[in-house]
Amino acid sequence: MDAIKQDKLETSEVEYSPYQENTQLARYIKGYPRSFTRNPLQPLIERPLTLSEITGPVALDQRLAISAEDMARLTPDGPRAIGQYIEVTGRVVDEDGAPLAGSMIEIWQANSAGRYIHEMDRHEAPIDPNFTGLGRFVTDAEGCYKFRSLKPGAYPVTESEWWWRPPHIHFSIFGPSWMNRFITQIFFPGEPLNETDLLLNAVQDPEARDRLIFQTTPTLVGAVNFLAFRRDFVLRGKHHTPALP
Amino acid sequence: MPILPTSPYCTIGPFFPGQFVTGCQDLTSFQGKKARGQHIVLTGRVVEEGNQPILNAIVEIWQPDANGVFRHPLDPRFPEADPGFFGWGRARTDVQGRYSFRTIMPGASHGYAGHGARCPHLNLMLLAIGLTHRLVTTVFFAEKPDSVGDPVLDCVTDPVLRGRMLARRESDGNGAADVPVYRYDIVTRGESETPFFVE
Repeated sequence: MDAIKQDKLETSEVEYSPYQENTQLARYIKGYPRSFTRNPLQPLIERPLTLSEITGPVALDQRLAISAEDMARLTPDGPRAIGQYIEVTGRVVDEDGAPLAGSMIEIWQANSAGRYIHEMDRHEAPIDPNFTGLGRFVTDAEGCYKFRSLKPGAYPVTESEWWWRPPHIHFSIFGPSWMNRFITQIFFPGEPLNETDLLLNAVQDPEARDRLIFQTTPTLVGAVNFLAFRRDFVLRGKHHTPALP
Repeated sequence: MPILPTSPYCTIGPFFPGQFVTGCQDLTSFQGKKARGQHIVLTGRVVEEGNQPILNAIVEIWQPDANGVFRHPLDPRFPEADPGFFGWGRARTDVQGRYSFRTIMPGASHGYAGHGARCPHLNLMLLAIGLTHRLVTTVFFAEKPDSVGDPVLDCVTDPVLRGRMLARRESDGNGAADVPVYRYDIVTRGESETPFFVE
């Protein structure tokens, strides 16, 4: 460990402030019953952040297998999955805007018919034999990620009489510490079902809500044209960059 | 420089892929090497209001190795980290709400950043349908006498609440006494609710 890093530790320059409520989803959501049976009744407790909390799993590609960048087919020469091909790009940064290089990103999504390959999914829509809907990627030195897939379909929520989830992709991101381990869902712009989705609309501030929606970028033209979307992520914390491997 | 607003957290939902869990419950080896120290099983039930089991919750843990070293460049002892221990794991609860990890007893670690030493502990987070944010807590080990003076445990002053943060060793009756079993139940809401920390 060099002197600079030691300095940073002693002065605790890596900083994490609590999430700002107005940038986040409500914890209790009317019409989402389990939010009322699962959230703690007791107030959350403040604690100091020691080495244990400001570290976390890094270089996860040593532990977990990375996928091929193109999820819209199972093998490089195999048949294409059914749906609208998309390319998703973006950047993972901290609250200073500094890139979080080497961050593991796990994504999972429904196929174009709105079906997941999961034992809990009882939707009758068909499984696509050429699509698993899951991928693992790592951000590059600039914090950027990229993958190809297809646009997921909407699907009905089993326990609801009216709720259909709009198309969305799940993201699980490992920032450089336990404090910014991050999970979310990203939606597609202009979808009518976005207007009624209980989760998307659990973010009060419209600007914050927009951070859960992909931005459309120019179509990627090639042998197959891909609809292109972008979503940057800001993970909690400041002054990460010098400490990263 | 302006501070950017953080991205909104959202629930993990019901369909987190099983392939993302397979193999992650066992932390006792890394890159073909066996982890040093006392191997243990950490297991328990995750329940919600009315003591009802939560099926399909995802539990993740982060901990130092047997010598209290974190596999992370911010730990000054990072170069000494056990090459057979990565320190991160993930499990999924079954229909009884039960999760299970095979890991090692964490060593006491440095607090740093102006804090005192930490007694053996591991960080735990819970993700499930109905939770738009993760729930985070810290698991301590009851039989460790130095479970006193830990700067995080000391934030919980009520002895009853402190007791809910301790994993307890189960009696060895299953013939696998070389791998002690520690039990840690998580009550997300209701009587005997687990203490959770501010995010």
